[in-house]
Amino acid sequence: MRARQFLFLMIAASALIPETAAAHIVKGEAIGFLSGVEHPISGLDHVIAMVAVGMWGAQLGRPAIWLLPVTFPLVMAFGGFLGLIGVPLPGSEIAIALSGVCLGAVVLLESQPPLWVAAALVGVFGLFHGYAHGAELPPGQNALLYSAGFVLATGLLHATGIAIGVVHRWPWGRVALRGAGAAVLCGGAFFLWSAFA
Amino acid sequence: MKWRAAFGAAALVLLPEAAQAHLVITGMGPVYDGMLHFGLSPEDYLPIVVLAFFSGLRGSSAARMALGGLVVGWLAGGLVAMYVTSVSPELTSVATAMLFLVLGGLLASNFAVSARAVGVAGALLGLVRGLADLAGTAFSVPHTLTLIGMTASGFVVFSLAASLTLPLKRAWLIVAARVSGSWLAALGLLLLGWIVRYGPIVG
Amino acid sequence: MKRWLAAFSVWLAVLFGGPAFAHEVRPAYLEITQTAPKAYTVIWKLPTMGDVAIHLDPRISNGWLGREPADQYAAAGFLIRTWKITDKRKDPIFGQTITIGGLPDTMTDVYFRVRLLDGRQIDAILRPEQPSYTITSEGRGAFAVPTFLLLGIEHILTGPDHLLFVLGLLLIVRSIRALVKTVSAFTVAHSITLALASFGLITLPIPLLNALIALSILFLAPEVIRAQRGGDSLTIRYPWVVAFAFGLLHGMGFASGLTSLSLDRGALVSALLLFNIGVEIGQLAFIALILGLIRAFRLMEISWPRPLANAPTYAIGILGAFWTMQYTAMLFGVI
Repeated sequence: MRARQFLFLMIAASALIPETAAAHIVKGEAIGFLSGVEHPISGLDHVIAMVAVGMWGAQLGRPAIWLLPVTFPLVMAFGGFLGLIGVPLPGSEIAIALSGVCLGAVVLLESQPPLWVAAALVGVFGLFHGYAHGAELPPGQNALLYSAGFVLATGLLHATGIAIGVVHRWPWGRVALRGAGAAVLCGGAFFLWSAFA
Repeated sequence: MKWRAAFGAAALVLLPEAAQAHLVITGMGPVYDGMLHFGLSPEDYLPIVVLAFFSGLRGSSAARMALGGLVVGWLAGGLVAMYVTSVSPELTSVATAMLFLVLGGLLASNFAVSARAVGVAGALLGLVRGLADLAGTAFSVPHTLTLIGMTASGFVVFSLAASLTLPLKRAWLIVAARVSGSWLAALGLLLLGWIVRYGPIVG
Repeated sequence: MKRWLAAFSVWLAVLFGGPAFAHEVRPAYLEITQTAPKAYTVIWKLPTMGDVAIHLDPRISNGWLGREPADQYAAAGFLIRTWKITDKRKDPIFGQTITIGGLPDTMTDVYFRVRLLDGRQIDAILRPEQPSYTITSEGRGAFAVPTFLLLGIEHILTGPDHLLFVLGLLLIVRSIRALVKTVSAFTVAHSITLALASFGLITLPIPLLNALIALSILFLAPEVIRAQRGGDSLTIRYPWVVAFAFGLLHGMGFASGLTSLSLDRGALVSALLLFNIGVEIGQLAFIALILGLIRAFRLMEISWPRPLANAPTYAIGILGAFWTMQYTAMLFGVI
C-alpha cells in the first residue's frame, strides 16, 4: 500500500520534471508575460528548491504554511531587486545549489525548527534565487508583464509544493514527502557538484 | 432605494462605452480608447484590484473611501496631466512601482489602518495613474472623454474586486487575498530594480 | 434636481453629438467568385456613413486589384466596387496573400470569401491586428466559428440601443424569477425574428426598424419611473410580455449585422446559430456585470444621491426620445 502510493507520487512528481527541463530556453529579450513565466521554471535547480519550500511549509503546518507564501515572493523579489540594480552578491550559484541540498535535507528529516530559524533559512535562499533571476533579467519593452509572469510562476511553483505537501496529513503521505525531500536533496547535490565542477 | 442607486451608478459607468460604440466603423471613440487602454494596462488594473481587495478586508466604509479617492484622484491626475503640466515618465514609473510595493505590502500584511487612510491610498493611486496615463504618448489626442472611459473602467474593476473580499470570513481565503498582495509588492520591487537598471516604464 | 437633470442632458448631448448609428457594426466585405474556369468576379463592399467612407484599400498579391474596377457605385450604406478578371493560370488564387491597406488604423473587420466553381469555399476574417491573409487550399472555414460567435458578442456589446433596453428591463423586474422569465422571453423573441429576418422571410426598412427600436427604449423609461414609484402597469406586472413583444423588433435589428454580409443560405444557417449564441453570451455578460455591480454597491453600502440614482432612467428616456426623433426624421427624409 505505502509503496504503491509512494510510487504514484514519484511518478506524479516526475511528470513535472521533463516539462520544466524542456522549458530551459534562454530568451534573448523579455518579450512578455510568457517569457516571464518561463524564466523561473527554466532551471531545474530553481524549481526543486521552490517546490521544496512549499513542501516544508506544509510539514511545518500553521503558521508557516500561510506565512511562507505571503513572505517568500517578497524576499525573492528583493533578491531580484538587488540583482537588477547590480549589487554584487558573490557565490549565488553555489548558494542556489546548496539551497537544494539544505531544503531537501530539512524536508527529508522533517525538521521542526523555531519559526524564525525556518524563515531565515528560506529567506536567505530565496534572496539568492531572486538575485540570480534579477541579475539575468534582460531588458525589454514590457517590463511589467515580464515581471508579472515571473512572480506568478514563482508563486505557482511554491503553491505546487504546498499542494504536494497536503499529503502530509496521512501517514503514507509523510513518508512520501520525506521521499520527495530525498529526491530534492539528490538533485541539489548534483547541482552543487556541477557548480564546483 | 439602494437597488436603484446601484443601477444608477452602473448605467453611468456603462453608458460611455455603449455610447461610443457607433464609432467602431470610423475608428475608436475617445471613451472607448480610454477603456481599451485601461484593459491593456496591468499597471492600471493590478494595483486597483489589490487596493480593492485590501479595502474590502477593511470593511465597507474603507471600500467606499478608497473608491471615492480613486475616482477623484484619477480624474484630478488626468486633468492635471492634460491641461496643467505633464509629469516625467521617470517620476510616474517610480511612483507606480512604489505604490505597488506599498499597496501590496498593506494587503500582504493585512495591516489595520483607518478607512480614511485607505481613502488616501486610493486617491494617491488614482492621482499617479491618472498623471501617468494621460501624460504619455499613448493617445494622439488626449480627451476628457478618454479620461472618463478610464476612470469608469477603474470604478467597475474596483467595485467588482472589492465585492470579492468584503464578505470574506474564511481564513484561507483571506490568506489567498494576502498572497495576491504579496505578489503585487514583489512586482513593485522588481519594477523598481528594472527602472534603476533600464529606465522608466512607458505603459 | 432640475439643474442636475439639465447638466446630465448636456453631457448626453456631448456624447451623442453626431448621429448615432445605433446597431450597425458593419464589416467590409471582399469576395472572389469563380464564374467560369478562367473568369473571376471580385466584389468589394466598403461601409459608408453618409458621404464618409473609411479608407481601406484591398490588394491581392497576384495584382488583380491593381486595375481599375469594372464597376463602382454607392448603394445604401456601402460603396461597391466590382472587378471582372480573366486569368489563364491554373490556380491564380492559392498561395496569394490578401492585404487590406489602412486596416490597422481602423476598428473594422473585413470578411473575405472565395467561392470556386467546384463548390469549394474559403472564409476568413481580417482584423486591424492581422490585416493580411494567405489563401491556402485547406483554409476552408478555418475562421468561421469564432468569427460569427465574436461578431454576435461584439454586435450586442457595442449596440447601446439593445443594452439600454436590457438595462430598462433589469430596472423594472423585482425578483430573480421575474428576471429569468424576462430575459428568456427577450431571448426567445429576438432569436425568432433574427432567424426569420436573416433568411429574408420578413423585412422592415432599416430606418423604420431603427425608429421602432428607439421607440421601444423610450417606452421603457416612464415604466421604470412608475415601477420605482411603486406604481402598477402591465409592463410592471408582466415585464416578460413587453420583453417578448419588443424582443421581436430587436431581433430584426440584430439581423442587420448578418444580412449586410449577404451570405448565401448554406453558410447562413451555421453563421446564424453562432451569431445568435454570441448575442446571448454578450447579453448575459452584460446582465452579469450589472448584477455584479449591484452586489458590489450593496456590499460597500453605497447610497447614491438621488440625481445619480435616477441617472440611468433618465439616460434611457433621453436617448430613447432622441433616437426616436432622429430616426423618425430620417424616415421622412428630413435629415
